[in-house]
Amino acid sequence: MLIWHKKNRLVKKALGYTALVLGLLGHGFAHAYTGVTIVMSTSSAVNQEFVDNFKQELLNAKYPNLRVKVIDLQETEKLVVAENSELVIALGVKALGASSKLSFTTPVLGVYTPLPTYNSLLASSRRVLGNFSAIVLDQPNARRLLLIKTVLPEAKSVGVLLGQTSMQDTDNLKEMAEKLDLNINQENVYQESELIPKLSTLLESSDALMALPDPFVYSRETAQSILLTSYRHQKPVFGYSQSYVQAGALAAVYTNTKQLAKQAAEIAIQSQQAIGGLPPPQAPKYFSIILNRQVGRSLKIQLTDEETIHKKMIETEAMQ
Amino acid sequence: MRYFKHIVLIILMLLSNARLVAAEETSTKKTSTKETSANDAWPIASSGQDLSEEDYIGEVPRVLTVSRLSQPLSDAPSAVTIIDGETIRASGIVDLPEIFRLVPGFYVGTNAGYIYNTNQVVSYHGMANAYAGSMQVMINGRSVYTPVFGGVKWSELPIAIADIERIEVTRGPNAASYGANSYFGVINILTQHPSEAEGNKVIVTHGNGRNEAFYRHGGKLNDLSYRITTGYREDDGLDNRNDFKRTRLLNAQADYQINDTNSLEFEFGMANGNRADGESVKDYVLFVPREREIFNHYELMRWQHNISADSDFKLQAYHSFDRSNDNFTSTNLKANAKRLFIENGISPAAASVAVARFLNDQVSINNDIDTERFDIEVQHTFAPATNLRVVWGGSARLDNTYAPYWLGTKETDHFNLQRLFGHAEWRINDKLLMNIGSMVEHNSFTGTDISPRASLNFKLTPNQTIRLGVSSALRTPNYVEEKFNAKVIIPLVAPFPAGVVYRFQDAGNVNPEKIVSREIGYLGDFGRFSLDAKIFNDEISDFIRTPRIRGFVTPGFLNLGGRARSGVNGGDVLVNGFETQAKWRITKDTNFLLNYAYVDITANEDDTTSNINESAPRHTISALLNHRFNSHWDASLAYYQTSETTQLGDGNPVDLIRKCDLRVARKFNSGPWHGEVSAVVENLFNSHYEEFADYNTLKRRARINLSLEF
Repeated sequence: MLIWHKKNRLVKKALGYTALVLGLLGHGFAHAYTGVTIVMSTSSAVNQEFVDNFKQELLNAKYPNLRVKVIDLQETEKLVVAENSELVIALGVKALGASSKLSFTTPVLGVYTPLPTYNSLLASSRRVLGNFSAIVLDQPNARRLLLIKTVLPEAKSVGVLLGQTSMQDTDNLKEMAEKLDLNINQENVYQESELIPKLSTLLESSDALMALPDPFVYSRETAQSILLTSYRHQKPVFGYSQSYVQAGALAAVYTNTKQLAKQAAEIAIQSQQAIGGLPPPQAPKYFSIILNRQVGRSLKIQLTDEETIHKKMIETEAMQ
Repeated sequence: MRYFKHIVLIILMLLSNARLVAAEETSTKKTSTKETSANDAWPIASSGQDLSEEDYIGEVPRVLTVSRLSQPLSDAPSAVTIIDGETIRASGIVDLPEIFRLVPGFYVGTNAGYIYNTNQVVSYHGMANAYAGSMQVMINGRSVYTPVFGGVKWSELPIAIADIERIEVTRGPNAASYGANSYFGVINILTQHPSEAEGNKVIVTHGNGRNEAFYRHGGKLNDLSYRITTGYREDDGLDNRNDFKRTRLLNAQADYQINDTNSLEFEFGMANGNRADGESVKDYVLFVPREREIFNHYELMRWQHNISADSDFKLQAYHSFDRSNDNFTSTNLKANAKRLFIENGISPAAASVAVARFLNDQVSINNDIDTERFDIEVQHTFAPATNLRVVWGGSARLDNTYAPYWLGTKETDHFNLQRLFGHAEWRINDKLLMNIGSMVEHNSFTGTDISPRASLNFKLTPNQTIRLGVSSALRTPNYVEEKFNAKVIIPLVAPFPAGVVYRFQDAGNVNPEKIVSREIGYLGDFGRFSLDAKIFNDEISDFIRTPRIRGFVTPGFLNLGGRARSGVNGGDVLVNGFETQAKWRITKDTNFLLNYAYVDITANEDDTTSNINESAPRHTISALLNHRFNSHWDASLAYYQTSETTQLGDGNPVDLIRKCDLRVARKFNSGPWHGEVSAVVENLFNSHYEEFADYNTLKRRARINLSLEF
């Protein structure tokens, strides 16, 4: 959780006062909503799956009395929500953007949202922490590094190739790496042409490459050259998504739809009557591991199964 | 050909201008972003707004699919040597085939041949003439093995060393995966993916008897990445040979990513130029010193479809065309013919009479050779179980050959080949892995044949493997051995006999040569030190050779008996030996590579023994030491030692060779320009040695090289 604590320090300071004033004005954040409106950016299969799982989780938690309504942004001209009686769960950046413009007393929880986007929406809207939260897509750095340490216990140095977005906060990354006895090699990319030369330099001195989401560095377009170059150097890439692993990264921590729906349901239930409103934005609580065995085999990396790695990681996380 | 130079120059100018404009634009962009981030209290907010969930969980095209991933050496069914781009760079070679000196058991002989190919001969475990035909050579899976004489015309390949990513050399037969002619071994040269070669690169080399210039441009247009390399090479050859080469080449590769699971790859290459050829002996007769013109091109298309994480489908089709224009007139044949008559028991007086009746003193030889290849292949990789991987597929090929002199006809000859192959890798348990495979091939020369293989890899510890393998392969006879019908006939004045058959090569209609290779291998990987060793036993049967035929008669013609040859299957040959390769990373800046091979050949039939037993050097040693002094300077020292050998065909006995090459390089980086200047001295101690034959004398040669990227 440290990642955004730092980033949000300013936001908190700036908006803390607003919150205080609002609190004094008697609005409070006790929502007591009676229903949940899920706003989807598009009606994709993933979003549909989220809705189904979310409903199921409410049932499992014996909380069927919370109504669930679904709105597809693509089929809606103007987003209209029964203000004050609903919790809005926004799926995707577009949905969160639209939801942030709702009456600021309507609690909004973003899902499928990158942390930087969440931060910028929080800063640019009239929203405050207690009624605007998210389960961000960013896995904690500690967890990403723990995966590397678990899969490659011998690894000493991890290379990170950073772009405009990802180079903003590396203190936490370095701090977490230090705890795991890992050294971070960093290269910043400012121009497209620097990408491969800098990656090559990085790979020469690193045991693995850790990909961090940043569209300037890691995108559909660059995946090919990044993965091929890393493979040529016989160095594994730790991805940030299932898709990146399927494309040729060795492993990644990711959170699936069911897990996100579970966490969202937990928040919805807990904060229904909560005095403080929504909890602060949080990282995915539940996670899975995906491995690319074919890549591991070709790089001569002995891989145990996903379950064992996952278990080991949960144990280590619990100890910390 | 002036055109060609002009076009290249214009392209160069255009590209360099375009690049400059682009560079200006990006630099302005860069400053502006910097300014905003400096003034903006919320840098994350400004960039964060552009981020969407797609940047985190969006689909990414499948890149390292099963067919692109190579099998780790410890799982491979035979000994494999991988030469990466860095080793090629460190070795300082300027001619691609020279790199194979760094593969244990390989022999590289300079400037062999004089008829169709004055090139390096690259052979493994001997039994090769100037046209070493016992190995399959591929570039990105496309066979560049020539059907007429066999072997590879190395200097004519439209490929630049700078574009090579790595070379995989399978030491041992691997017909199950690569088809017939994957006989003693397989070389697969893999070029860089276009997306790894973005930007511009210029490489210039100048040295003794050598000038080269290459230009490469790589770029990206949405889902299409491409690379174009063009170059010109001047090779003046050896002092005592008529062997200069001028080569212009162009190579282009493109990859179009249709969607996340489908891609199309295109390749195109062409080369042309002039070559000097000619018999190297002083009293040359037929193949006089002359100049010939070569021209070749190829086009390839490959569709790769990723079915799932462990399943791939590949469809590849290519066409290649190769021309050698070579029409010439022999020397005056009278003196030579008279000697031959006498050698064949005709009295000197009768010989003089016969020679006096020659209608012409010289003969014209139309040594034009055109070959064309169409090839289509499908391959499917899948995993029916978690511990089983299967690759299977099939291919069809058509070779068209026009070689009026050699085939004795102006008709184009057609050679058809179809094959089916399958290979399975079965991981029995953590310690045991089995590779089994087989190929069925049908071709117009020798009918249907099967080549199976099997090997067992046993992991002693996670980093030590013992491999036991047996594999068989066939070598389809090439045109020389199977179908040549080459006559040199000197017409006579009187009606009978109509002429003198001066030289004749008859169609052999031979069976394929067979090899059964057994090996015990060891692989150890201890982090900074790795060792690969194997002992082997190759049993070759139906060995194809082209001896002189005795008592040869052509009705109505006078024969010079000893001058007739034909392909025959004769005898068995045994090759036993030991090979090892050690790689040692002494420090993080110092690397050492050492190869040693001991090869012992025994032919069991009198007429095959002639020099087959000496056709591979008994001992070969090669070593490469590379050290990086700092981020700018690095140097490497290579050592090559080959014991005495007598190569077949035009080869003759040569002594032990010891040679040292030194390379010193400095990298530089200045703004958008970065690159390297290097100096190479080949044969540092200037030992005047002979290679392949006594007519090839090699001396010290030096050159400087500049490579510039921008």
